[in-house]
Amino acid sequence: MKKTKKVLAMLLSTVMLLGTAACSGGTSATTSVEAGKTDTTTAAVEATTSAAAEGSTEKVKISYALWGGEEEAKNTQAVADKFNASQDRIEVTCIPIPWETYLEKLNTMATANELPDTAIMSEAGVISWAEQGLLADISNMYADGEAKPLDSLAFKYEGKPVAYSVANETLQLFYNKDMFDKAGVAYPSSDAAKAYTWDEFVAVAKQLTLDKNGLTPNDAGFDKDNIVQYGCMVENLTWQLEVWCLSNGSGFYSADGQTLTINDPAAVEAIQRIADLYLVDHVAPLSSGMTDDGVPRSLVAGTCAMTTNGAWNIGTCLSAARDEGLNYGLAVLPYMMDKVTICTGGPNVVFSQSKHPAEAMEWLKWYSKEENNWDGLIATGIWMPILDSYYTDEAMTKKWLDNPAYGDYADAKAVLVDYVMEYEKSASWYYTNNTMDFNALLGSVLGDVWTGKITAEQAINDNLQALQDAHDGMA
Amino acid sequence: MKDKVTGHKSASSYQGRIMRERIGNGASFVILLVMAAAVMLPIWWIFRSSLMSNTELYAWPPAFFPGRWLFSNYTETLQVFKLWLYLANTMTIIVPSVIGGTITAVLSGYAFARLRFGGKRFIFSLCVGSMLLPTMVTLIPLYIMWTRGLGLSNTYWPLIIPYFCGGGAFNIFLIRQFICTIPRELDEAASIDGAGPLRILFSIIVPAIKPAMIVVGLLLFITIWNDLLQQTIYINRPEDFTIVIGLSMFRSGLKADWAKIMCATCLSFVPGLLIYMVGQKYFVEGIVMTGLKN
Amino acid sequence: MEVQKEIKEIKETKEIKEIKKHSKRSKQEAKTAYLCLIPAFIGLSVITYIPLIAVFIISFFKWKGASAPVFNGFDNYIRLFTTDPYFMDSMKVTVYFSIVTVIGSMIYSLAIAMLLNRRIPARGLFRVIFYLPYILPAAAVYIGWSWLYENNFGVFNYVLKSIGIKGIMFLNDSSAVVPSLALIAIWLTGNLIVIFLAGLQNVPRSYHEAAEIDGANSWQRFVNITLPCMSPIIFYNLIMSLIANMQIVTPALALTGGGPGNSSMFMTYLMYRYAFKSNQIGYACSISFVFFIIIAVFTVILFATSKSWIFYEEADN
Repeated sequence: MKKTKKVLAMLLSTVMLLGTAACSGGTSATTSVEAGKTDTTTAAVEATTSAAAEGSTEKVKISYALWGGEEEAKNTQAVADKFNASQDRIEVTCIPIPWETYLEKLNTMATANELPDTAIMSEAGVISWAEQGLLADISNMYADGEAKPLDSLAFKYEGKPVAYSVANETLQLFYNKDMFDKAGVAYPSSDAAKAYTWDEFVAVAKQLTLDKNGLTPNDAGFDKDNIVQYGCMVENLTWQLEVWCLSNGSGFYSADGQTLTINDPAAVEAIQRIADLYLVDHVAPLSSGMTDDGVPRSLVAGTCAMTTNGAWNIGTCLSAARDEGLNYGLAVLPYMMDKVTICTGGPNVVFSQSKHPAEAMEWLKWYSKEENNWDGLIATGIWMPILDSYYTDEAMTKKWLDNPAYGDYADAKAVLVDYVMEYEKSASWYYTNNTMDFNALLGSVLGDVWTGKITAEQAINDNLQALQDAHDGMA
Repeated sequence: MKDKVTGHKSASSYQGRIMRERIGNGASFVILLVMAAAVMLPIWWIFRSSLMSNTELYAWPPAFFPGRWLFSNYTETLQVFKLWLYLANTMTIIVPSVIGGTITAVLSGYAFARLRFGGKRFIFSLCVGSMLLPTMVTLIPLYIMWTRGLGLSNTYWPLIIPYFCGGGAFNIFLIRQFICTIPRELDEAASIDGAGPLRILFSIIVPAIKPAMIVVGLLLFITIWNDLLQQTIYINRPEDFTIVIGLSMFRSGLKADWAKIMCATCLSFVPGLLIYMVGQKYFVEGIVMTGLKN
Repeated sequence: MEVQKEIKEIKETKEIKEIKKHSKRSKQEAKTAYLCLIPAFIGLSVITYIPLIAVFIISFFKWKGASAPVFNGFDNYIRLFTTDPYFMDSMKVTVYFSIVTVIGSMIYSLAIAMLLNRRIPARGLFRVIFYLPYILPAAAVYIGWSWLYENNFGVFNYVLKSIGIKGIMFLNDSSAVVPSLALIAIWLTGNLIVIFLAGLQNVPRSYHEAAEIDGANSWQRFVNITLPCMSPIIFYNLIMSLIANMQIVTPALALTGGGPGNSSMFMTYLMYRYAFKSNQIGYACSISFVFFIIIAVFTVILFATSKSWIFYEEADN
């Protein structure tokens, strides 16, 4: 009898728990079904709105997927709430997704036709998604005469823009001023006219590399297995390698993105030079090109004197590091044959599965306006602005750069505005298809190059057919 | 267990044996101590990182102990990392799944272990065969089924219902093995008294395999606790996030604040650890008692 | 005669009753069995086998996510075995990793279990410590290991350099990657230790004592008593370990991204990349199917050869 009581109790508690699960699960289900019903949110009542809604007081609900941590999610929702409060036709909700599973989730949702209306996407997938018809046409997002994003920030498929980057992230050189002072070497210049050539760059790095006995690679008895300070660390994430290929006169692809040029002697030589910083010159630590924490690992940790990476690091880790004592500076990249830097920036897209493309575009346009993201992202240095006015109008430039996050205004302007305007090129994923598979394969192929097991030439030529297939979209 | 010393063996060889055993025990203890330290090293590394400042983390040479024990990192982390929300959400999934999984595993395991019916071998090999498949293989078709087909997006149901179907082949297999080691005489005695198979199950088998059921519950708990991919795919809204998703989100932050990320990681260890320590008594006892033959 | 006939009738009816009772019971058993198995059966078909069949069918299509699937016959399989830059390496690497890890885990967990089986203080604490890695969320734990393995500034290399040995590039050297990942996988096998421990405690002490009295040393006792008595459990752990390790994906996901080169491109990780990053679903399904066949072959081989070396104390199956 006792046993049956026990069993009954177990069953009862199961049912109760199922009930609670159903309730919490159920409410979510019902609210998602209630998408069409009116909400009782506090909406600012506008006197008149020029756009005539379809005669209903229903708010159009737009969803926006983004990646980032708790803080970004909170900030973005706050920005979305600002938008929601500024008008009463559209309501935006954010769907934060962890970075490591971001693309997986978007892909799964795409397959099941469950995509949100808008999202920030990783650069590598954009053209491919455009090809599959997953992106809505946004060519009329900006009217003529309006301030537009820089041209290098538009993703183009078949000649039409399909997405605009949400920020302008360029690559530059960061360096540790204290280490330069100690070695008695002049700082790298923020003036593009005085940029280092590659040989100058390596020579300076050698002066700043110290082993545990304080010797540099120029001294006899230098112990390359016991280096305590490295002169430089050039980030070798695959997409960043492209800038060096471009700098040496070549590139991953031809200028129109149709032909592969990764096997050009110039491109191969560029990659080999990066590997040689560790293998031959002994001025850089071994880097696998697999993780995205280059700056914290090198400059912030105090183990490297110079490093190349993207401008977002100013906001994400360098400001905090400066507060803790890191005295760093901004400079332009060294160059091999041509001076160049590349820009990138995750784009905001409207998905073609969305039922409200017009409202979605309106939301994105508002969101991309720098004023709406000022404190969290622009002022902290995480995003660089996209509208051309910030780069051409001195007053706006001052508004942006003359703030604590950027340190010295003159240096910042020289590197982030003048250098950018003159030498910035789009990374190839703005106009080339299948960059995701290509970059993944290239990164894989170059794996043994960094450790010196094979040369870059061997690696690329052995795998040329596979790289070609990846670019063509077969692999 | 006193042993009997046979006539022609002298007392000294008995002493010898005891000595050898003691030395053996001593040596074993030392080896285990060293191994345990080695095993704890990565875990210690994560913990000590959570108590350091970010610049200290990457310092060279690496420090085994934090310079300043920044327990404040934890309070700061908790302000941003919504531990309690995630915990509550995770529990909403785990509790029904564990209960459902255990009950259905017991039912199925019992059927395979004790009852005679046609097609038993075939269904059992299907069961074992399903263990060979990594779950992600069927993820996409299942996702389409749950969201487009059954309209259950934004709910926890796709994560809970599968566990009601036996809790996974591994657990059915485990329960079956346990039940196999209970002597059939008990069953037969009960059936002579007129009990049907279900009565036998509830009154005799279940009490006997209670430890095994706790084991299954623990294993289910740990599996669901750590299941990142499925939970990310099915859960959309931040207020529904579970603890693994929360941790992953925390790592996605732009600011790469490693010390805090390690804090969040350590915090997410704690519930699993507690549950294990509470249940481990039954866990080992259970396996010891009934053994795992064939 | 009549009495005999009556007795015979009574016997017959009794037999018939027995048979009837038997068949009634067996019918009842069968009915109960089917009832009990309904949830499992629904699960197996709806959640496992029907999607598996769907996967098999999809593998004959070219399907890139949101666009419509296009039938292309065996092209996916042909591409897999001829032009795919990852697949052949992937198979080799997966098998290599599984063998190393399975053998390593078996030896490690058996050794630790045997040590834990002795009368030593703080056994409970040791059990918790060795089981700990298994409970912790794997992805989080890999970060800790990546710092230990770091090429220039990691703890392991620091220790090596202090002794004067040149540092090892654990995760960047294509020949060191699989052993390094195998080490982590072995570290994680707390669950095997516990199961072995239980098995050890079931080996009758009387066997050991008898053998000792006959003069057997500990190695001989190990090989001739412990191993045979434990063989069913060793087999169980072997199968579980093999299946789990062939399906390994998290180290590649969290640490190496399949690199350097293809030296840690495990098959499940490859599937994952094609399905979820590259969105080539049809192709990913063909990989899944090939993988399923491979793992089934290994399992069947293991089961078939098991009869020869497993020693069951009681035949109760």
